[in-house]
Amino acid sequence: MSDAPLPLDGIRVTDFSWIVAGPQATRILADLGADVVKVENESYLDSMRIGLRQDPKNPSLNRSGFHSNLSRNKRGITANLFHPKGREAVERLLAVSDVVIENYSAGAFARMGFSWERLQEINPSLIYVSVSGFGHVGRDASYTTWGPSAQAISGATAMSGLADQPPAGWGFSYLDHSAGYYAAIAALMALHHRARTGEAQHVDMSQIECGMVVSAVPMLDYQINGRSYERVGNRSRYPAAAPHNTYPCAGDDRWIAIAVDDEAQWAALCDELRLDNMRDDPRFADMASRKENEDALDEAIGAVTCERDPFDLMIELQAHGVPAGVCQRTDDKQERDPQLADRGFYPTAPHEELGEHRYEGLPMQFSKARWRMDRGAPLLGEHNHAVLTELLGYSDEEFASMLAELAI
Amino acid sequence: MARSNSNSAEELPGPLEGLRVVEIGDLGEVAGKLLADAGADVIRVEPPGGGRSRHVGPFANDDPGQPSLLHASRNTSKRAVTLDVTQPDGLEIWKRLVGRVDAVIDATTPTFLDELGGGWEWVESQPESGDCVWCSITPFGRSGPRRDWAANDLVQLALGGPMMSNGYDDHDLPPIRPEGEHSIAVSNEYAVSGMLAALWMRNAGHSGQLVDVSMHEAVSATTEGAFPNWEYFGRLVQRQTGRHAAPDPTAAWQYLAADGQHVCLINGGLPRGGAAWSGLLDWMDEHDAAADLRDTQYQELLFSDPRANPKGRRHVADTIGDFVQSRPAEEVYRRSQSLHFAWGIVRRPEQNLDDPHWEDRGFFWEGELPGVDGSVRYPGAPYRFTRSPVRLRRRPPLLGEHNHEVYVRELGLTSEELRGLLESGVV
Repeated sequence: MSDAPLPLDGIRVTDFSWIVAGPQATRILADLGADVVKVENESYLDSMRIGLRQDPKNPSLNRSGFHSNLSRNKRGITANLFHPKGREAVERLLAVSDVVIENYSAGAFARMGFSWERLQEINPSLIYVSVSGFGHVGRDASYTTWGPSAQAISGATAMSGLADQPPAGWGFSYLDHSAGYYAAIAALMALHHRARTGEAQHVDMSQIECGMVVSAVPMLDYQINGRSYERVGNRSRYPAAAPHNTYPCAGDDRWIAIAVDDEAQWAALCDELRLDNMRDDPRFADMASRKENEDALDEAIGAVTCERDPFDLMIELQAHGVPAGVCQRTDDKQERDPQLADRGFYPTAPHEELGEHRYEGLPMQFSKARWRMDRGAPLLGEHNHAVLTELLGYSDEEFASMLAELAI
Repeated sequence: MARSNSNSAEELPGPLEGLRVVEIGDLGEVAGKLLADAGADVIRVEPPGGGRSRHVGPFANDDPGQPSLLHASRNTSKRAVTLDVTQPDGLEIWKRLVGRVDAVIDATTPTFLDELGGGWEWVESQPESGDCVWCSITPFGRSGPRRDWAANDLVQLALGGPMMSNGYDDHDLPPIRPEGEHSIAVSNEYAVSGMLAALWMRNAGHSGQLVDVSMHEAVSATTEGAFPNWEYFGRLVQRQTGRHAAPDPTAAWQYLAADGQHVCLINGGLPRGGAAWSGLLDWMDEHDAAADLRDTQYQELLFSDPRANPKGRRHVADTIGDFVQSRPAEEVYRRSQSLHFAWGIVRRPEQNLDDPHWEDRGFFWEGELPGVDGSVRYPGAPYRFTRSPVRLRRRPPLLGEHNHEVYVRELGLTSEELRGLLESGVV
């Protein structure tokens, strides 16, 4: 499909995003074919450029694989907003863009000179998507979050963990990613609205709200049934199914998830684990009794799985229709997952300083289009000349003087 | 139809006004909801006994005969019809429904509808249906050696990697799956982007097409640092209590505050600027808790190379940690935020119902739920569209609530024909 069209060919995005949430949104749009132009300079650098650098002693700002994965397929320019010519270049870019996305703290983009009113003056058809912790509207709009604190406030952290332990949290900034996913949706919805009506608009996103929408059931349960949320670990409260848990396997810190949904799967699990005595045990005779005796059930299963290779056991259980999956590490996914390999989920792409590397793909395939994985993240200012001269109409002489004056 | 309030925004069309969608299967309800709340006309097609979510608790008033709150959370703004597509008459009606929409959300299995003759292969063979976008959402995608494997949310979060990054410092405790069916959430979020991109392309003059979304891939794409740590350093991240998984252990971020609620201190509580540091020390001094932190060596080390003096940094983090454990969680949260720390409070989901900030934003949508007296506050959308509001357009539909409206008024069946279909179990 390498010559298939890109769905968002012709859309241009001015990208004032940094860290993870904003770049995740513009990554999706860039993968789908939008011309995403990332704008930075030393005073508002995407700090992911210094996260997980290949060699911390090498001061280059182009050597973070973490950053490259999040900003691949984008173009990059630098612009000094304190210099009138730098500011003018950004305004020219905004004038030929369809969407601008930023994820600074609420109010910061306006203080940089780009309030919604000003953006409308520059380009009345420009869509503005802002992503911040609490959103731009509301009494706590000045508060700030990182992924983990947003997760904590939203309820998503409390919903993770064992019943007799503290919250486990998330292990990464989940809400940076889902805020990015939602911001991409918001940009696309706003584009559809503009195509139908001609109207542009500001879409004000809150990262915490991205966590609250996945905490919806406990919020309804509290209002209607008066029930406060309590953690259940890896068990299943709704539906009341058992066994439904993680079980230790042979090897160092190896675990398998097994989730039985009906009696046929329970019978198959007992056969595979040779749990003949459990099959006949009245404590485990049906779903309700297994749920009632879940501690004993889980202990008995774990006593058997701990002798088994997790991958062999998973393949055997799946062959008999039992939902089972190894708790995969990233090397399992990248080096040994035949499904991800078959679907081409980890394509490789070049990068001038990082070299050829794999990237995480987009989790979808189009029958008459493609998403792209052309190149890693732009070097800082890599596309200054191309963007300013070819897109924004500056002459080579003007470009040279802007460079000399540190406007870009 | 539920009407929450009567401001003028209520009447404004949503961003997807005019888009027509049918949704079938159990793994795509969130995608359908995102489109429906944005103004698309989404018809959810369920078997006559109802889709999975209607049968999963909790239920209103804890009565399984009343609406499921899982269903309610995922089906706002939709219409609902019943249809047994495995019967010939049902399949014909399904084809007529498909023939009049812009997009189909097919979250059945990779082959179910094609085997019946009413799937994407059938659409593709119909010249007049060629502008439909068919979005397939399946556990592993429509191709590959594990296409037909069985998975639920727990299995997805295991296979996709998030669990191995999430749990406790003590690795005798298992990797943890956060509740909330996040594999459905992230795959459906990606699916909506894919559909809207394919519709954009269609509106630009291309034909419709199949968008094949894999839940396993959507979850696999959502693990953050685990990927670059392996790809660039060959290192595996290790799960830790209440903070990011990392190749090497890091300082604690999560503490139990004095009132029994947890708080989350970003970066181990270490400040990022001198003003925040000074404000924090003043706050600690109010409770005689600053200990030796006013010693200038600590200020110097905090704002120098983060790799220098790990012992000193650990001492600062531990002293801050001791302090927050002596204060109530709400104070830790509000006071730290006023000092420009991005700290959080670990709230149970229902605690956000009382936070007036979300009222200011109109996050909760007031609406009805059958069987419940008064109105319910539905968690809304994470985005505020300033000109074309995303909002609750209808309360969640009852099973088959729109059969007559859709089949008789819109498809043109007679009431007698509908009655016959009901009697034969097709509807």
